[in-house]
Amino acid sequence: MALQLPAWWKIDPTAPFELGPRRLPGRIWTASGCFAYGLTGHDFAAPGFASPYEGLGAVVTKTVTPAPRAGNPMPRLAETACGAINSIGLENVGFDRFCDEVLPELERRGVPTVASLAATRPAEFGTMAARLHRVAGGFAHWHGVEVNLSCPNVAEGGHDFGRDPATVAECVAAARAELPDRALLAKLTPNITDITELSGAAINAGADAVSAINTVLGLEVDLTTGQPVLPRRFGGYSGPAVLPIALAKVDEIVQKTGGKVVGVGGIATATDALKFFALGAVAVQVGTAQMRDPFAAARIARELRPG
Amino acid sequence: MLRLEAAVPEFSPVPTVSTTAAFLANVRESAGLIRLDVSLARPVPFAAGQFAMVNLAGEHSLVFSRPFSILSATEERMSFLYRVVGRGTAALAGLRAGQELTILGPLGRPFPGPGAVGGKPVVLIAGGVGLPPLHNWLTRHGRPGDLGFFGGRDGQDIPWQLLDERWQISVDERTDIPAGREAWPGRVADFAARHAALQGAQPRVVFSCGPIPMLKAVAELAAARGWACHVSLEEHMGCGYGACKGCVVPVVDDGGAGWRNATCCVEGPVFSADEIRWDRYGKPAVPLPTIEG
Repeated sequence: MALQLPAWWKIDPTAPFELGPRRLPGRIWTASGCFAYGLTGHDFAAPGFASPYEGLGAVVTKTVTPAPRAGNPMPRLAETACGAINSIGLENVGFDRFCDEVLPELERRGVPTVASLAATRPAEFGTMAARLHRVAGGFAHWHGVEVNLSCPNVAEGGHDFGRDPATVAECVAAARAELPDRALLAKLTPNITDITELSGAAINAGADAVSAINTVLGLEVDLTTGQPVLPRRFGGYSGPAVLPIALAKVDEIVQKTGGKVVGVGGIATATDALKFFALGAVAVQVGTAQMRDPFAAARIARELRPG
Repeated sequence: MLRLEAAVPEFSPVPTVSTTAAFLANVRESAGLIRLDVSLARPVPFAAGQFAMVNLAGEHSLVFSRPFSILSATEERMSFLYRVVGRGTAALAGLRAGQELTILGPLGRPFPGPGAVGGKPVVLIAGGVGLPPLHNWLTRHGRPGDLGFFGGRDGQDIPWQLLDERWQISVDERTDIPAGREAWPGRVADFAARHAALQGAQPRVVFSCGPIPMLKAVAELAAARGWACHVSLEEHMGCGYGACKGCVVPVVDDGGAGWRNATCCVEGPVFSADEIRWDRYGKPAVPLPTIEG
């Protein structure tokens, strides 16, 4: 049954919009880590869709780090009644291969891309942003960078890194200095008392928007062993269960700081996405639901087109 | 070829389809094994060894779909085999007639086709819910001389109706064997190794699917005889199509570490047995924390 769109909803989320210095092709994105590097599923078919990329404003690519990472030991996933806990550990191909192979291929395929970057030292964000600008400055489909300041699964950086407003500002400023013409987003952790301190720091340091939220710290216990399911004990909790938490954090940011927000957390349907837009989000990202259905974001984009 | 995650598998004859299906029946094939029959809204052509991600549609859907190897399919129907082990399979067991499911498939790399075994007889060794991809291969491609082995705990654990005369059956305990059927004692890999038909110099190709210790034993059996061996790994999966990196398995790599993580859902689930770093399988890369006191 088609969604009855509310009267206040006038925006076509598949129409371009301005975010900082860049015009992005739409407002429905896929979240980092949930649609790989944007090179998967191009040959997938669903009734009425040309591909899972139809109508997407951006694929936020899987976070890459300066060096490749093998990630965490298995098991890496624990499903709960209303969500999922992951401990992937930023397994990635590394920034070099991302620049040399992934980004050019995304450009060739015309995938709207926001590159997610993580590092353990603030200056590295500047170095990586500068290289992206050199390598892909002329690309039509590379639209921006999301600095991942909040992955809970990385021992050497992780939460403490992204919980300190001064460090967040340093990372954002370093990337901003090298990104004159692309959108810059900072992805924030919700695992902090006052997320507005982080969002304020990011916006003041030059971020065009913050992405809120990353996963919530979670743990699942295997009762047969009496041990946590995940070898590293904790993981990042996502899925429908975190939707109200994400909405609350987005609302706090919008109300207290006025900064632009890209809403992410538990979005599985067009209705979920509308709640973020109602609170003032400029765009949304579909995460865990995209893993269940590679067409999830495309379906949401289509359903939210007025008329 | 860019091998990052899910480059289009070159063998795949058709695109992966996202479709709906209607629940038809849960048919008990043994004490623990249930065959799930669904009616497909669109055909999902597949190769033996490929799998589909299955979920309940709409508000009852699970956070993650569940991967199931395809037992059989026509244009209109598809069948899977499962055992109730957790939330997902319990939900499947509770389905009611007409209830809607979602299917994403086919996914993953299949077993080599009949043209890729070099004319050698194929030995198929299955344990428990590892039966579907091998059953499907034998049904579709089996020739005289190909031979299946299936292992279970006891007679109640054997899906007798699915196993015709091409299948040799072994059980840990020789109880509850139906009249007119036979099952030999022992673990299936040991049983296959001892079986008269597998002695001699005839080179063969082995396909296997089941629990890791069984696959390891099968791989050793094949290696000892110099036979090619392909195993299908059963891993928990988040997405099934290479997006989440939640189903990695250790495979041989020529790089410095000697191994790397392969994404089971797109680089597998079928691997050549000598690709797998069995010694690293299930081994944490960091020490497991313990509870103090």
